[in-house]
Amino acid sequence: MPTTPQLSPQEEQEKLLEEALNVVRTQAFQMKRCLDKGRLMDGLKHASTMLGELRTSLLSPKSYYECYMAISDELRHLEMYLVDEFQKGRKVADLYELVQYAGNIVPRLYLLITVGTVYIKSNELSRKDILKDLVEMCRGVQHPLRGLFLRNYLLQCTKNVLPDAVEDQSTENSGGQSGTVMDSVDFIQLNFAEMNKLWVRMQHQGHSRDRERRENERRELRILVGTNLVRLSQLECIDIDKFKQSVLPGVLEQVVNCKDAIAQEYLMECVIQVFPDDFHLQSLSSFLRACAELHPNVNVKNIIIALIDRLASFAQNEEGSGIPSEIQLFDIFSQQISQVIQNRPDMPPEDIVSLQVALINLALKCYPDKVDYVDKVLETTEDIFNRLNLDHVEHGSPVSKELMRLMKIPVDTYNNILTVLELQHFGPLFEYFDYKGRQLMSCHIINNALENETMIPAQENVDAILNIVNCMVQDQNDQPEEPDDPEDFAEEQGLMGRFIHLLQSEDPNQQFLILNTARKHFGAGGDKRIKFTLPPIVFAAYRLAIRYKQLSDEDENWEKKCQKIFQFCHQTIGALIKAEQAEIPLRLFLQGSLVAGQIGFENSETVAYEFLSQAFSIYEDEISDSKAQLAAITLIIGTLEQMSCFGEENQEPLFTQCALAASKLLKKPDQCRGVSVSSHLFWSGFSQAKDGEFHDGKRVSDCLKKGVKIANQCMDSSVQVQLFVEVLNHYIFFFEKGCEQISVQVLNQIISKIRELLPNLESNEETEQINKHFKNTLEHLQLKLDNAETAEQYSGLVL
Amino acid sequence: MTTPTATARISSKKQTLEDAYSPPANFLEIDVSDPQTHGVAKKRYTDYEVRMKTNLPVFKLKESGVRRRYSDFEWLRNELERDSKIVVPPLPGKAFKRQLPFRGDDGIFEDDFIEDRRKGLEQFVNKVAGHPLAQNEKCLHMFLQEPVIDKNYVPGKIRTT
Repeated sequence: MPTTPQLSPQEEQEKLLEEALNVVRTQAFQMKRCLDKGRLMDGLKHASTMLGELRTSLLSPKSYYECYMAISDELRHLEMYLVDEFQKGRKVADLYELVQYAGNIVPRLYLLITVGTVYIKSNELSRKDILKDLVEMCRGVQHPLRGLFLRNYLLQCTKNVLPDAVEDQSTENSGGQSGTVMDSVDFIQLNFAEMNKLWVRMQHQGHSRDRERRENERRELRILVGTNLVRLSQLECIDIDKFKQSVLPGVLEQVVNCKDAIAQEYLMECVIQVFPDDFHLQSLSSFLRACAELHPNVNVKNIIIALIDRLASFAQNEEGSGIPSEIQLFDIFSQQISQVIQNRPDMPPEDIVSLQVALINLALKCYPDKVDYVDKVLETTEDIFNRLNLDHVEHGSPVSKELMRLMKIPVDTYNNILTVLELQHFGPLFEYFDYKGRQLMSCHIINNALENETMIPAQENVDAILNIVNCMVQDQNDQPEEPDDPEDFAEEQGLMGRFIHLLQSEDPNQQFLILNTARKHFGAGGDKRIKFTLPPIVFAAYRLAIRYKQLSDEDENWEKKCQKIFQFCHQTIGALIKAEQAEIPLRLFLQGSLVAGQIGFENSETVAYEFLSQAFSIYEDEISDSKAQLAAITLIIGTLEQMSCFGEENQEPLFTQCALAASKLLKKPDQCRGVSVSSHLFWSGFSQAKDGEFHDGKRVSDCLKKGVKIANQCMDSSVQVQLFVEVLNHYIFFFEKGCEQISVQVLNQIISKIRELLPNLESNEETEQINKHFKNTLEHLQLKLDNAETAEQYSGLVL
Repeated sequence: MTTPTATARISSKKQTLEDAYSPPANFLEIDVSDPQTHGVAKKRYTDYEVRMKTNLPVFKLKESGVRRRYSDFEWLRNELERDSKIVVPPLPGKAFKRQLPFRGDDGIFEDDFIEDRRKGLEQFVNKVAGHPLAQNEKCLHMFLQEPVIDKNYVPGKIRTT
């Protein structure tokens, strides 16, 4: 015998639902036909049969809902028919009693609700009595699923007929009392309590292995219970007092005592959503006390955060009235949240911190000037961490993430690191991060300061900030062994370098203190760091020295102070040398020398001389790469050329030393170039004796002659020609400046030499370049020749 | 003739919150599962885990798990038939045919036979354990909650104080 194939549970449900809907369709059709013909009793019988489908235990909640919706629609017809009949005066005697003879309780009660609604709408009998009857009679169905839908039907039918007046407005032709808004409240509260009871009871129906499925099904039905709260919120005559005294306590009593996590979590959030914010403001303590008593599995954190966010938005809403001043919103939340935390010893630390985050947001949005509120939250957080023995929380852990969120909020909201410093507990909280956490937070803070260009005007501030971001300044005990990625490290230290430029005070004396403090902190950073951080300090110091000069009228000690500054710089640069830096100290000394020379304070010549000789020492001792050497000596020459503070006694050794050093370079091309460059010292260098440019034509010529000689010694012909072209250009420069020792003949000599050598060069890109250079030079000379004004000077030139 | 008082509503006490929301005190779940065949060749037997969860006050342990074989169930049935006043539901079959030699399959150690038997035993024990009169018998409690059944026990009723 063939067996019917097994249907999957879902297919089974679909089949059952389809069968039920078929019955509903057929019976509804019959019902409407009977009603059209005025045969009420037959119509009611069909309605009753149709309602029989809601007696089933076989449908899942989803399918039952579909069936219920179809039937509700059909019952609408019945209701409208009856209301119509009543309006036309064709009242059916004892209809209310008649429907109670239906055989089974579920159809009976649905019909009773429908008819009862008709009676209310037609003003027959006492509205108050009917409503009371209906809500109590529904107790007859204790099955959770069927009971929930039945009571939902009651809510839907009575949606627009609930009394909403403060006083009873019975009229003469109504059968009895109309009812007040408090009667509606009683009605809804009773319905709500019963529905919640049934909803929670669903949890215990069925085998324990199906617990998860049951919980999901319960969640699907939550709106049925929530509708009660929506109805309560729709009663217009409920004011704040009635809410506080009658509505909220009743609701909270059910929510707290049901001891069911799913119900509690949903209903508390529902309360927050459906009632207006000014109601919440006046009833906070009760609500939050209830939160503290909820089931341990309820995510209380989310509930409180939802409430805080709503109230924060309310406070910030410009059109609204804002938070009434007598409500100490922050204090209330602060206290109640501690209570909640105390009641839940198993609350994970990250959730506790999340609550603090919500509190801080509240403080900042509702009371933006009260910095002490924010500090209070940080203090509380510190206490919590102490209590829980949390230390060096691992980066990436939930609690570390939340703590970082918390700490970033004041930084990002105030956008002013100085305000953040006013928070006494901000710094201490830093210590609770592990190394990586501190590093990230420090970067965040410094970035914030840089983006907002926040100037740090006082020494104490500098001290405080550098202590907080200590992990970027100095090596830490808990630093990991492997070094950071060098690029990341450079970027991070670059941030610190940039930050140093924000350390500025209007008062130069304060500025010096600031620089000292910064020096102390950064100096302890180790060799890898100081090459990034000490140079900006030195530059800032030079700027300060210039400032002192500008304010020299106001401060009689300004020269001594400048002296001190340069001593400070000397020391600082010395530290860099000890850390085996060469290029940077060289440049710093040169810059210092320039600045000292420009300022011209007492002893500035000595200082400038000292700095230059230090530069020379570095050049001689520390720079060994030949390219670097050429660059360095060129830089030194360039610096010297600009300086005008030296008398002959000091200048002579310096100039000579330059030329000598240039001639001692190892490679011939370098020598040639170095010597050629040094020629400029003797022309445009400043002579105190002449109070103007040196213009020592002889020494210029000597240098260039030497240059030519060295070029001749080059073995690489390509390089040789290149050098000649370069030297030629130097010669032309001095010729044009009017150096007597350089004549047209000299120029001609070199030009012909170049012409001689050029064709012998191999044809390649380098030769192209040299050719071009030479051609450009010649073009320049041609222009001069062609120009009537200068033609005479250049006469005799052979191009 | 009905008077208004005859059909008047009976006023009842309001249900306490405790009663409304407490889990029902009639929770009883027994699962028969994990069939394991022990021993070799002719000396084999299969037993099952009988796991009970309940909140009924009459049971000493609210959760228990024991291993029982078919003959233990037979023993229980016999004890209850003799001592209690209930009509004891039947056990799944003893399957004599399956125990005869020269079968093509593994007889009573076949998987689908064991599964059918398991279902039958589960139905049996749930029906029995749910009956208030059976709940009074010592044999039931020993069957469900003692690791080993002492067949030399003194039969009798549980005293509920």
